[in-house]
Amino acid sequence: MPASTSIASGGARDADPVVVSELTKTYPGPVHAVRGLSFRVKAGEIFGLLGPNGAGKTTTVGVLTTLTRPTSGQAAVGGHDVRTDPVEVRRSIGVVFQDSVLDNDFSGAQNLRLHARLWRVPDAERRIASLLAAVGLTERADDVVWTYSGGMRRRLEIARALLADPKVMFLDEPTLGLDPIARRDLWQVVRTLRERHGVTIVLSTHYLEEAQDVCDRVAIVDKGLIVEEGKPLELVERLGNEVADLALADGHDATELLAALDGRPGHIIRGGSGVSIVSAEPRQLLTDRISALPLSELGVTTMTVRHATLNDVFLHLTASASEQDLASAAGSRA
Amino acid sequence: MSAAAGFAALYQRRVAIAVKTPVALVSQALLPILWVLVVGPALAGTGAGSKDPHVDYFSYVAIGQIVFILPFSAMFAGLTVLNDRNFGVLRELLVAPIRRATIPLASIAAVITVAAGQITLIVVLSVLRGAHFHLAVGPTLAALVAGGLLAGGTYALAEYLAYTLKQPQTFGTLIPAIGATPYLLCGALYPIATLPDGVRQLSWILPWSHAVALLRDGFIGSGSSHLDQIWHMRSQTAMVLLSLGVLAVFAGVMVALAMRAFRRATLA
Repeated sequence: MPASTSIASGGARDADPVVVSELTKTYPGPVHAVRGLSFRVKAGEIFGLLGPNGAGKTTTVGVLTTLTRPTSGQAAVGGHDVRTDPVEVRRSIGVVFQDSVLDNDFSGAQNLRLHARLWRVPDAERRIASLLAAVGLTERADDVVWTYSGGMRRRLEIARALLADPKVMFLDEPTLGLDPIARRDLWQVVRTLRERHGVTIVLSTHYLEEAQDVCDRVAIVDKGLIVEEGKPLELVERLGNEVADLALADGHDATELLAALDGRPGHIIRGGSGVSIVSAEPRQLLTDRISALPLSELGVTTMTVRHATLNDVFLHLTASASEQDLASAAGSRA
Repeated sequence: MSAAAGFAALYQRRVAIAVKTPVALVSQALLPILWVLVVGPALAGTGAGSKDPHVDYFSYVAIGQIVFILPFSAMFAGLTVLNDRNFGVLRELLVAPIRRATIPLASIAAVITVAAGQITLIVVLSVLRGAHFHLAVGPTLAALVAGGLLAGGTYALAEYLAYTLKQPQTFGTLIPAIGATPYLLCGALYPIATLPDGVRQLSWILPWSHAVALLRDGFIGSGSSHLDQIWHMRSQTAMVLLSLGVLAVFAGVMVALAMRAFRRATLA
């Protein structure tokens, strides 16, 4: 698609509130933060962008929220092109940033009122009261924000992001730095608000178990490219449902174990102190195959068999990409 | 309508931030208030003066305090930009459905509003302490415009620095350097004709010198403005317009620099 062609209007699928096509972003250096991303998010969907640090998630969110100018490619949000119609893009979004972005010397309600004025929210006071109740902050509405806990600040930011009834809400690592209870509460608020408001949500997170639980679809991003995209459970099934985690004794590396496993079914994920084998085989068969190996001679101290998760998919895909890079680098040196 | 609503929201936010920090407002005003209430009258009593037989030194120096408080306070207001940028709400403002240029422009307008309040404070305190002012519509209006241009221009410089300095703590060291040093060279406390050669010529190009001259022209009278010490002309009107022009150029250049720095800092 030519860089000058807009994807913001026309076409049967343009009802999708987020459309990204061949998006690239190169920073001076050059640093290729995003290297040709394409994806669509359907209305009402919770879509997760997953990836390691530096994968390009925040840059992608930056482009979609008009904070970052794309180098090439297309992106449209709410039917508006991020390049040519940024003000209308911003009118159709709500954003919760990675770190807290609040006026600390103002109360929670005052923070929401500023947002309501900037987004020209009709019947603002009623809506502010409703959203503060929805995120459980009615009692603290008039307290200055610097007295809020991390979880309260996040909930206030989510209420603020929803205030103008956006078509798309972006959550960039929304649970970073929160304790497990605050994280659980936050996702509960997100789910409830999504059901109530029908808003489309694009989120990036490091917490893969949360993504598996919350997202309708995810894209795993690594080194600026999408390496896999789909429903979390489908991605897990595609890799294999069962995982055997083999822990290695101190002083043993995985070389001998990997050699012994060579040719056996399943994907191998190397960890810091062991190896995980992800397999589509039934659990008993997987256990029997591995148990048949001379495990103690290979330095294996324990074996745990469990169901596969999105975390395994993520580790498999990002590790594969790293190994491919190493292989191609070695090839080019040769 | 949309642009005006966004501007008004951002403007009120900045004014509210200024009002919410009374400690900062009072501490910035402390030195000029001390001059108006204590030092000025004391110096006037010793026989020091403006060398103008028609003007008492206290009234002369009281107006001089305005060119201390306006730039000093404007530089302090630049700290809000650093705070918004590093710890605060700037990114939230950047994703608001408004023209982004509205963000710095609304801040400049808010600083000028605070400056108007500070001018009022100095004038009222001075009158209560015994200063004699003679207001005329044209010159007083020119004086207020001069005060606004000085405050707006200095704040725009503060914004430029806040968006371009690599190390935020450097900004703190520049507050007294930019906010207060020119005050000693601009004729706020003594006529610039008394300054040594070299320094005197430097004072001619300082926006502070033009602002204090115009403020005296507006509040005390043309005899005490000492515009002729800068321009060496006879036409008071021409000198007033020229000094307003200097301040307008200063403010215009600073605002252009601030807008450019803002754009470069906020769009990756």
